[in-house]
Amino acid sequence: MIDVILAVVGGTIAVTIIGIIVGLVLLGIDRKFAAHMQARVGPPLRQPFIDVAKLMCKDSIVPENAVVSVFNAAPLIALASAVTLLLYIPIAGFYPLFGGLGDAILVMYILTVPALAMVAGGFASGSPYATVGAQREMVTMIAYEFPLAVAIVAVAWRFSMAGFSDPFSLATMAGVGSGVVVWDIVGPLGIIGCLILLLVLAWVTPAELSRVPCDTPEAETELCGGLVAEYSGRNLALFYLAGGVKTFAMTALGVAIFLPWNISWFIGITGWTALIADVVFFLLKVIVVMFFSVSLIRVSMARFRINHLVSLYWGYIAIAALVGLMMIILDVFMKGGVVL
Amino acid sequence: MSLLPTMAEVLRQITKKPATNLFPAKYLPKSITGFLGKVSEGKAEINPPVITPENYRGKITYDRDACIGCKICMRVCPANAIEFIKETKTVRIYVTQCIFCSQCNDACPVQCLHMSSDFMLADEDRYSENLIVE
Amino acid sequence: MTSENKSKKAPYTIPIGPTHPALKEPILFTFRINGEVVEEVDFAPGKAHRGIEWMGMRRNPVQIVHLTDRICGICGVSHTFAFARAIEQIVGIDVPDRAHYIRTILAEFERIQSHLLWAGVAAHELGFDTLFNLAWRVREESMDLIELLTGNRVNYAIVQVGGVRRDIEEEKFARIKEGLRYYESLIDKLLKLFLHDKTINMRCRDCGLLTYDAALKLCTVGPTTRASGVRADVRLDSPYAAYGELNFDYVMPDLYTGETRGDVYDRIVVRLLEVAQSVDLIRQCMKQMPEGETLWETKMPKLLAACKKAEGEAVGRVEAPRGECLHYVRMNKSDSPYMWKVKASTYSNQLSWLEMLKGEQIADIPIIVASIDPCMSCTDRVAVVRDGKPDIYSKEYLHRLSVEKTRRLMND
Repeated sequence: MIDVILAVVGGTIAVTIIGIIVGLVLLGIDRKFAAHMQARVGPPLRQPFIDVAKLMCKDSIVPENAVVSVFNAAPLIALASAVTLLLYIPIAGFYPLFGGLGDAILVMYILTVPALAMVAGGFASGSPYATVGAQREMVTMIAYEFPLAVAIVAVAWRFSMAGFSDPFSLATMAGVGSGVVVWDIVGPLGIIGCLILLLVLAWVTPAELSRVPCDTPEAETELCGGLVAEYSGRNLALFYLAGGVKTFAMTALGVAIFLPWNISWFIGITGWTALIADVVFFLLKVIVVMFFSVSLIRVSMARFRINHLVSLYWGYIAIAALVGLMMIILDVFMKGGVVL
Repeated sequence: MSLLPTMAEVLRQITKKPATNLFPAKYLPKSITGFLGKVSEGKAEINPPVITPENYRGKITYDRDACIGCKICMRVCPANAIEFIKETKTVRIYVTQCIFCSQCNDACPVQCLHMSSDFMLADEDRYSENLIVE
Repeated sequence: MTSENKSKKAPYTIPIGPTHPALKEPILFTFRINGEVVEEVDFAPGKAHRGIEWMGMRRNPVQIVHLTDRICGICGVSHTFAFARAIEQIVGIDVPDRAHYIRTILAEFERIQSHLLWAGVAAHELGFDTLFNLAWRVREESMDLIELLTGNRVNYAIVQVGGVRRDIEEEKFARIKEGLRYYESLIDKLLKLFLHDKTINMRCRDCGLLTYDAALKLCTVGPTTRASGVRADVRLDSPYAAYGELNFDYVMPDLYTGETRGDVYDRIVVRLLEVAQSVDLIRQCMKQMPEGETLWETKMPKLLAACKKAEGEAVGRVEAPRGECLHYVRMNKSDSPYMWKVKASTYSNQLSWLEMLKGEQIADIPIIVASIDPCMSCTDRVAVVRDGKPDIYSKEYLHRLSVEKTRRLMND
């Protein structure tokens, strides 16, 4: 029993540290990508670490008319829930630490918690900017939840149709142990469906992470930071860390569902080298996913208005997700790929 | 890509060299004075600033011996940056007050005032030796 | 924050400014917001008042002409130009032809850099930082050329009472032409990136509408008024410098889009097309430029003496990049002017904000505010302070003050 507790506690601490470090490195890489696409040199890769270290040294100012307890708790909850996400998502082909305790549906629920914490923190800070930001964040959340759910459920349903016993487990989707991934079990129609769902997931990512063009809740030029307008010092650092970890979790989720291959079996190596190769390959995939779903999107368009955002996600992207789902359903009915 | 023309543009740009002028160093050094010290010791290299064109208006230079003390420069200086020294019948120019219009250069009947191309004039003391020309 | 602002019930009040990321210069907006929609707007300028006119009235015209450069960092040529024109009229100076052409070339370069700067700021307000970086990068070319021609990037100090201080020599023409070719090759790309982008279309089309009638009624000027379909441009309506000899026309948005709606998008169209127009004007100027002097009087003491003898009043008008820039000067046989008044383009344009912002969303506030290319340091000529607190002068009070002043002047 004591072993299990030690493993869980130790594992959680390890995942937290790894998650924070990888998250910050990802933010640094994203800034570098964006800078080079805009013909700038950009900050050094370690800039997010410098930012966090600096914020940690500074005082946390609490506004006079804030609800102090909620205001201070929100950043902690955001970071904690973002780290919790990583405990359920298979990383580099490993079985997730809490994989047996929760599945894709749980991950979808936990994904909303950092956003909800920010909303609570925004309302609690008592500033009109934060209030408007919090309202917008809620609307954004409602807007992107549906396409995200459709994308994940469609894949899980396809696994169940292929006769997998635990289709909603992310470990199953990522082919941990079995080595079977979604592309192996779908037919031609299903492949098109999955490609559409992959694009849908890529488009949900910026909304989930509140990046341009979906950074309406934080909109620097409109609301001077919106949700986090009143946050400073340690509290802001925690939100920043939560953002980094969430970036890692979202991209890892995309990789786990749609690009879960490992490189070790492909080039035929085993042992420690295989482990290192897999981890490096996984991080590369995460960076590629981040480039296309965060960096590229955020440098090539203007910020949406909140009503644009809703009509885009409820309209076009939800329809795209449903089309993807229909393709996969048709695929099953036409007996394409592996069907039980 | 017709919907988002910028996307093609940024993808083309990513392989090209950034337009940033990396003056004085690529990234902010840990300590600027330390970095400048290293540069003067020859241990580090400074990225040169953009070259200034001919007739650039930088820090003012003054030829005291040629000056005849006519005070015309003081009459045309918009910033009142020029002070007359009675004892020597010459002028003293406060660079912190100077607005680099070079009007005194044009007005000077004996051409004893000129603009150099020196523009790195930041200092902690506004009356430092470097910032008073006389 | 007042207790009214604390209330979370709609409609609530949002202050924007005096310092806010959406504003490049200090001004205070107060919005009454219902949900995301602006119900009422009020704004209080005067936060960038520096007393430049007061400083000017203690200096001679030759000093002021470079002081006017500092009114605004972007339209340095326009202010010096307008002031010099006012003084030239009072003193009766006949500016050499070559100086007219050089002034025109510099004014047009200033328009290029100002409009590109604005395009970058507008893109930033929309959250489109790539275009902000791009616009400012290509703006560098015009800054470099201005530096080459005047000796400085920002405060040019090139216009002098009675002409310009530096000639454009033949050997600089090649470099200028290179710069013009650069912009000619770039303008299509800029138009494509700014005007064909779906997200910019979504944000700017039918946003911040200013109808033709409202634009006329509010006496808006410059690109703001032209985007609403009013054909007004000081360069054409009362030509000055070399503009009378150049071949050009009003830049209207329908040249490009085929219609005039008077929205933010049309203002982008007008400004980008004016960059192309300015390039063309500079080309014409370089072709037609006559030989000759560039200054009416090179000896500074003679110029000062002429200014000191002068008596009278005049208005210098110039089409600055943002619109009409007007300087009123009154000389009274003394070293310094008896009166100097600056009316910049934003002063005429700022009231159109009330018209544009009503009924729009919070998200559109930054771009609509930026769409008239506001310059508060040009505009802020007055700040009312009574008992150490900001105060407001009513129309009646101002009228009484003017009547009193007129009486005083008549008794003098």
